Amino acid sequence: MLEVKHIAKYYGNNKAVSDLSFTVKDGEIFGLLGENGAGKTTTFRIIMGLIDANEGQVLLDGREINYNTTDRIGFVTEERSLLTKLTVLEQLKFYGVLKGLDERTIERDIDNWLEKFEISSYKNRKIKELSKGNQQKIQFISAIINHPKLLILDEPFTGLDPINVKLMKEAIYTLQKEGCSIIFSSHQMEYIEDFCEKLVILVKGHPVVSGMLKDIKEEYGIKNIMLRGEELPLEKIKKVKGVISVSKVRGEIEVKIEDKSVAPKIFSLVKNFNITKYDLVEPSLNEIFIEKVGGIHE
Amino acid sequence: MSKKFWYLTKVSLKKKINSKWFVITNIILALAIILLLNMNSLINFFGGDFDNKIQITVIDNNTNSYNLLKENIKSFSSSLKGENEELKLTVNLSDKSLHEEESNLDNDEIIIVLNNSNKEYLTAKIISEEKIDSVTYQVLSQSLNSTKSAIGMTLNNIDPSILTEISTPVSIDRVVLSDENSVDENMEIIMGSVFPTVILPFFMLTIFLIQMIGGEICEEKTTRSMEIIISNVSPKTHLLSKILASNVFVILQGLLLIIYAIIGLLISTDMLSGGLSMPSDITSIFDSLVSTGFVDKLIYVIPLTLILIVLSFIAYSVVAGILASMTVNMEDFSQLQTPLVFISLAGYYLAIMAGMFNGSILIRILSYVPFLSSFVSPSLYMMGQIGIIDIIISIIVLIIFIYLLLHFGIRVYKVGILNYSNEKVWSKFFKAFKNKDV
Repeated sequence: MLEVKHIAKYYGNNKAVSDLSFTVKDGEIFGLLGENGAGKTTTFRIIMGLIDANEGQVLLDGREINYNTTDRIGFVTEERSLLTKLTVLEQLKFYGVLKGLDERTIERDIDNWLEKFEISSYKNRKIKELSKGNQQKIQFISAIINHPKLLILDEPFTGLDPINVKLMKEAIYTLQKEGCSIIFSSHQMEYIEDFCEKLVILVKGHPVVSGMLKDIKEEYGIKNIMLRGEELPLEKIKKVKGVISVSKVRGEIEVKIEDKSVAPKIFSLVKNFNITKYDLVEPSLNEIFIEKVGGIHE
Repeated sequence: MSKKFWYLTKVSLKKKINSKWFVITNIILALAIILLLNMNSLINFFGGDFDNKIQITVIDNNTNSYNLLKENIKSFSSSLKGENEELKLTVNLSDKSLHEEESNLDNDEIIIVLNNSNKEYLTAKIISEEKIDSVTYQVLSQSLNSTKSAIGMTLNNIDPSILTEISTPVSIDRVVLSDENSVDENMEIIMGSVFPTVILPFFMLTIFLIQMIGGEICEEKTTRSMEIIISNVSPKTHLLSKILASNVFVILQGLLLIIYAIIGLLISTDMLSGGLSMPSDITSIFDSLVSTGFVDKLIYVIPLTLILIVLSFIAYSVVAGILASMTVNMEDFSQLQTPLVFISLAGYYLAIMAGMFNGSILIRILSYVPFLSSFVSPSLYMMGQIGIIDIIISIIVLIIFIYLLLHFGIRVYKVGILNYSNEKVWSKFFKAFKNKDV
């Protein structure tokens, strides 16, 4: 289990991270969100022991992070962190040994990983000769080759096509089942919604939203009603108290309401029309993110 | 941690040695060194000869000084080229006319026409097809002057025994009272020709080392693999592994250069003499070195110089590593390393020109300065301007300097390797330098 307790990091007068706390239990996938420059990279660097926090502490299974504990952490950085002049085999061995594995163990495991990600034929090819997607796969394998206890994924699906995204997702779920704690960061909110039960949203180093995803959505209040039908009374719907907006989304009408108590009023308005869809849905994480992050900017 | 240190060192070293450029560079270096040392044979092979004898034909127009001139040419030639060396000038008297000799003149022939003169005792004309090399011209000029003096003294009835005494070169017994370590001025001439050649590879390897360590750190930074590496090993371990790998590499490269030189000499020996004797030029230089006490001094100076060189390599690589950590790309490092290259260049020139600073306190102080000491100290010691104790002081200063560099520099390195911004870069590093908690 990872415990981040009230960490803060200052660069002069600039607060990169301030009073950030969260825990990631074994087998849990945790989302760390924020716009560019919000403090995600600083948080990852503190967790990895690359920089020291000015305040607070980070514990992995109750122990402070040091060069022994980092052997049990895997890190997929946002930008590719591969030595492009090395071959795939050399690269994986290099990172593997740095994570405390011996070369024989790595050689034994490498073939399985390469096969799983369908890149066995590239074993002796130089990294720079690979496509971006295949380089991303190598980066992912190098992060999990040590069967980490904690895995940090910063935009792990960059450059991957849907088939390879599926392959990587399966690998992430396998690690989750093995009890690995995973921190996931992405600007693509659908991935976060797919993976994470718990998350925190950072704005200028401060956590503005934190907790279980379903609770966050619940607390957010605003709901959406998705309608599909003919000649719907859109003007009347707009005038209902508690309706925030009415808009067309992919051939459907999206009615944004302040809370779920408004939903029956909308239903009573449309029930006598020829409707083929009436669905009360949770707001997307994307909406919450834009609202929370954008609101602070305003 | 030590396992990871040795692994990082091994990978770094392997990457350098397994590179095709290392192989190609060494093939070129080996060929260049072997060819340079066998230049004489090479020129012979293509129809030229350094050892061609120059034929001097003397047309004596009633001066009766041919024999005297011949003796003088032999004497000056030996004194300039060394007694054991074969005389390359052959002199003969011609009974043909100048016109006939000129029409049959070859490239390696010189005609000297001797004429009487009432005022100057002797005048001469030197005729050749092409330009004469400066040493040969010097021999001929001195021989003619000496012949003229002899003619003049004979015509003025000076006793032949007195004439011989006058002609004999002055015997010089050189004694320097102020410094028992001092050697004669001949050593400075030898230092001027031998020492630049000896330290040039060291200078080249230093430049190579600076660029190599900087390049490697820059590469790891720009590919962002540094974050993964540093999360598993400490910055100190990382820097030390780079220093060790780069130093082992340049020492290996230095040894390879020595091996190429030995191979070149062996080939040269075999081709020139067919036996185990050394080529004449090298024998001549070696004889000069032995006679000036150079070789005796080498016994003391070689181990101390090697220690200085290795320590200097370490100092240069620590600074290069720290500078590389502060940059965000290779172009920035190329600019930042320039002062370091200039310091090294200054050391090289100071070592070559050390003789000009005879007795200067400044050059003595400079011989203690890290980065310069490995160039200047051995040079000054060989010329007798400093003693063994001064070299030992240079070594101690260098060790303290490396310790301080590592102690403070590692703070900058730790901040630098994770810095990807050029904003307020110096302020960040000065802050890191002062902050012991970094």
